[in-house]
Amino acid sequence: MYVRALPTTDVNRNTEWFTYPGVWTTYILILFFSWLLVLSVFHCSPGMAWTIVHLAHFTVTYHSFHWKKGTPFGDDQGIYNRLTWWEQIDNGKQLTRNRKFLTVVPIVLYLIASHTTDYQHPMLFLNTLAVFVMVVAKFPHMHKVRIFGINGDQ
Amino acid sequence: MITIPYLTAVSTYFSYGLLFAFGQLRDYSRLIFDWCSTNNLQGYAPICLAHEDFYIRRLYHRIQDCFNRPISSAPDSWVDVIERYSNDNNKTLKRTTKSTRCLNLGSYNYLGFGSFDEYCTPRVIESLKKFSASTCSSRVDAGTTSVHAELEECVANYVGKPAAIVTGMGFATNSAIIPVLIGKGGLIISDSLNHTSIVNGARGSGATIRVFQHNTPAHLERVLKEQIAEGQPRTHRPWKKIIVVVEGIYSMEGEICQLPEIVSVCKKYKAYVYLDEAHSIGAIGKTGRGVCELLGVDTADVDIMMGTFTKSFGSCGGYIAGSKDLIQYLKYHCPAHLYATSISTPSAQQIISAIKVILGEDGSNRGAQKLARIRENSNFFRAELQKMGFEVLGDNDSPVMPIMLYNPAKIPAFSRECLRENVAVVVVGFPATPLLLARARICISASHSREDLIKALKVISKAGDLTGIKYFPAAPKKQEEEKDRIKLD
Repeated sequence: MYVRALPTTDVNRNTEWFTYPGVWTTYILILFFSWLLVLSVFHCSPGMAWTIVHLAHFTVTYHSFHWKKGTPFGDDQGIYNRLTWWEQIDNGKQLTRNRKFLTVVPIVLYLIASHTTDYQHPMLFLNTLAVFVMVVAKFPHMHKVRIFGINGDQ
Repeated sequence: MITIPYLTAVSTYFSYGLLFAFGQLRDYSRLIFDWCSTNNLQGYAPICLAHEDFYIRRLYHRIQDCFNRPISSAPDSWVDVIERYSNDNNKTLKRTTKSTRCLNLGSYNYLGFGSFDEYCTPRVIESLKKFSASTCSSRVDAGTTSVHAELEECVANYVGKPAAIVTGMGFATNSAIIPVLIGKGGLIISDSLNHTSIVNGARGSGATIRVFQHNTPAHLERVLKEQIAEGQPRTHRPWKKIIVVVEGIYSMEGEICQLPEIVSVCKKYKAYVYLDEAHSIGAIGKTGRGVCELLGVDTADVDIMMGTFTKSFGSCGGYIAGSKDLIQYLKYHCPAHLYATSISTPSAQQIISAIKVILGEDGSNRGAQKLARIRENSNFFRAELQKMGFEVLGDNDSPVMPIMLYNPAKIPAFSRECLRENVAVVVVGFPATPLLLARARICISASHSREDLIKALKVISKAGDLTGIKYFPAAPKKQEEEKDRIKLD
């Protein structure tokens, strides 16, 4: 089956790829297949596997969306050097469909992970901390905010 | 309109994710490695910021042998490509003294002026002997010769405008002229797929830039309405000037601009039209006068017409054509005219001779033959590729045809397989194109013969089968045979 790729008006090549069809499906498929991978490698219970996937997802997405700033190529002459990827997508517009989807995914992962581990400690504590940090980082009010100057510019 | 199979889109994202993940892992291990070794550059600032060159180091360098291939002959329909080898997995490439003769599908040699021409080359050599290779001066000091004056008149007549100004470099024409035309307080509305030279010029001008959806006059009208109603940012005063920048043929898509609709929208809202005909001048239209002739737009409606001489005329440099007042103003203010060295005189002579050949003023009909041949070649090639099942972009009559590859691994695979069969193609990936839409761009020339094209089709079909890029079902051949049989009966 075919999909149409409509050209976007986003000139930032670093974030424009997120507006094309197939991204959401790929994201969810990667999460599902990594859960299967963790299950087959570590031979743990499904709940532990979901917790591991949730925490790994938190580490990877926090680093790439909210920590790294700028773009991985130099063609745009550094106009996005002070913005993290999260602040760059959709040209900085808040509460778009993409942003809502990316906020919902960690919450759903948290629910699955805590349900399948029967809300036991210490997994529950770690999962809750992770989802709290993730969701707060994605609030519209946190746009371009650097708490205590962490990850600020020199 | 690009139609992607859904599975291909998902697998392309996954491939890029894997490539980025491996790149990051390598970066981390390099960090740990370097921590242990000593650094004798204490106190020096890093040349580039932390991750600005991540893409170049970890993705581009791995397939570096597919780009920047040096050639050792004129870019005719067949070209000598120098062989290179690498001892450290493509981090550095070394040239050898051997070269292979390959079919050239990458040069912008639309009308075949890229090599020896029986009318142009003797005149260029004569001009080289008389005027020498460089004028060694800017236009206003001592760099204007009679050839330059003749060239500007010739270009203005050819394009259909009262006057023209010529600069020595095509990219610099856009990036040096747009800041002169508009400044702070003005608005530039540019197509989302405009060339980097236009983006650079627009950023350098200091005007506000807005982008409209590629080739969609309805979206342009919406953007214009919105911007005129809002006015300048923060002060909301009316805009001093609005310029809409579009291109004739978009070099990465092969699409022709919808000029009549865009011009009517701009007239309605009193915005100026800037048309960049880098790829369309000399290549389309009945007498090669570009997209205005092809679509029947009066040249008086397009305010500023820009073009380059590198594609169809086999030379270098660019021009701007407009009203006499505009060109006079540019001659007083444009830095490319006042300070940059003028276009070299033999190159100018090449352009004049090429225009004479195209218009038939050299006494033969080679110009008309070339124009007919490029149209025939492009339409034949495009139809055959589409019959084979490739996804080919671009409108009919356009000599630029990108073949979609999508997956990042297919970019080097297609390029290397074609080179092995002695066909030189140009492949383009991220960030010159969107992440998902990597492509191989084929440029057809009037100097390609029918045998060349058939050989190219065979090689591309074989490479396409190997890499799996025939995303559409191939047109059935059996039906045609049956129809012929019925006709005979």
